[in-house]
Amino acid sequence: MTDQGAVFDLGYVPYEGERRGRRGALATTYRDGIARVFGVRRRARKKVLPWILLVISVLPAVVFVGFAFLLSTFAPEAESPFGGHAEYFAITAATVFIFVALAAPELLIPDRREGVLAIYSSRPLLPDDYVMIRSASLLTVIAIFMLAPQVLMYIGFAALDDAGFFSALVTNAGEIPKILLATGVYALGYAPFALLIATITKRRGAATGTYLGVVFIGTSLAAALLEATDLPGRRFAALLAFADHPGHVSNWIFGTSGLDDNVVATAGLDPWVSLVTILAIAAVSGAVVVWRYRRLM
Amino acid sequence: MEGAAILTARDLGHAYGSIVALHSVDFDLPPGRIGLVGANGAGKTTLIKILLGILTPTVGTASVLGHDATKDTLEIRSRIGYMPEDDCLPLDINAAQFLVQAAGLAGLPKDAARQRASDVLTLVGLEEERFRRIGGFSTGMKQRTKLAQAIVHDPELVLLDEPTAGLDPEGREEMLDLISRLGGFGINVLVSSHVLGDIERTCDRVLMLDGGRVLDSGALSHFIDEDVVDVETIDDPDAFVQHMIARGANVESSGVHVRVSTAHGDPFDLVRDALAATGTGIRSMGPKSTSLEDVFLGRSGS
Repeated sequence: MTDQGAVFDLGYVPYEGERRGRRGALATTYRDGIARVFGVRRRARKKVLPWILLVISVLPAVVFVGFAFLLSTFAPEAESPFGGHAEYFAITAATVFIFVALAAPELLIPDRREGVLAIYSSRPLLPDDYVMIRSASLLTVIAIFMLAPQVLMYIGFAALDDAGFFSALVTNAGEIPKILLATGVYALGYAPFALLIATITKRRGAATGTYLGVVFIGTSLAAALLEATDLPGRRFAALLAFADHPGHVSNWIFGTSGLDDNVVATAGLDPWVSLVTILAIAAVSGAVVVWRYRRLM
Repeated sequence: MEGAAILTARDLGHAYGSIVALHSVDFDLPPGRIGLVGANGAGKTTLIKILLGILTPTVGTASVLGHDATKDTLEIRSRIGYMPEDDCLPLDINAAQFLVQAAGLAGLPKDAARQRASDVLTLVGLEEERFRRIGGFSTGMKQRTKLAQAIVHDPELVLLDEPTAGLDPEGREEMLDLISRLGGFGINVLVSSHVLGDIERTCDRVLMLDGGRVLDSGALSHFIDEDVVDVETIDDPDAFVQHMIARGANVESSGVHVRVSTAHGDPFDLVRDALAATGTGIRSMGPKSTSLEDVFLGRSGS
């Protein structure tokens, strides 16, 4: 032990470590986007809705697998009243739709309103990078919402299959590309338009309301026009049924178009028309968002 | 001795539609603490945005740390920091989280970003507040957070746009003190301000803009003559004035008010000797420091 001590003032220490430049800026923006939409490092009220929606998205899959387990144990000959992967997309679509309506404004609007874009503009990041990475964050979270229950079902049903777990995994492998494609279609069907609304709206609540309103009103209007008029070509009013296009294409991918009872299917539009509509809306939305951010940053 | 220029401009111009914000701007600014001086609308923020690569000049070229400001935007942004004049802070996260994010955006790995964030928050005096949400910060704390994000990645050059805007006198003193210390950390500084006293306090070189043109540029000492004495006499100062002129002093007089400066030596000694030799009585005498503001107003014709 010593009775003497010394205080060393190290002062300012220059940084001489690694600098990752644009790669580091992209990774940081991507992580921030994911954390932001789930309310990570934010107040509790920011976490509530996204996590509730995620639970709502996954919970039915747990019920499906649990019910299948009970049937396989107590009534092996009975058919499960629940469907498979295609039907589950219709279930998660609603929660994903609401989640996207909340997440897209959260990703874009605070940075603009609080002036944080000025910080991004001073870092090794271009406007196109910012838009691309924010979009990637949203698409990732949509994929989590859609794929998590699908993976749970895929593994759960394989575990209950009489042919054995690994054999069932291999046998059902044909479903995997369909699941991935359908996820991509839903992501493209919902995210770009939500990002467009978030780009041209100043407040988060207004953006969420506008997005939900435009999609609901468009779909309702399409249904009303289909029912109320006898005009030739009225079936093309179904193009306004923004909410229904992804499901129409998803059922086409899974070969379950016969199950379709939405506005687009009722109008008799081919699934490829829905796919082209989705791609066109995504392209126009993406172009407007990029144009706007090139002016802002 | 001055090193190679860290900021240069050649015939630089920028227009927003029909409004010309910068016109034929030329400069070579060496390392150090540089004050960018001008009234509101002089083109200061436009110049900073061109240097950051946010705006593309309509004509001419600019370079930062030897890189073309238009072509090498990402390389430049990796090596400089920027403190905007306006709000730029996320209000719903704490200062430590924001600083880690700001360092990550500049390309620092996660662990290094955390360490730098902690160090820099301590440096700007926010170590006690690092886990408080920025939304609850005072204006002074927000300004210090803005400065912290600008230097968290240890840039070679930091651009500060009106860093004392909105601060009370105490906050202003603290901010000017921090800016003055940056040079000692090896960080070159460009401070944009219309408060010329701030530039005098923090900078050793000045670039004056007026109406989008360069009014003047040079070392601060080139602009400010600190050895000027103001004297107010009781009676007619004519004999006193003639005595000093005969000894080579520069003298301006108006009634009983006399302003004296000398090319060499202490003007106070000369005034004292002249007062004694001519028996002139005085009401007051004191130093008159020519401020940057006087220089700017004189040259801009305002």
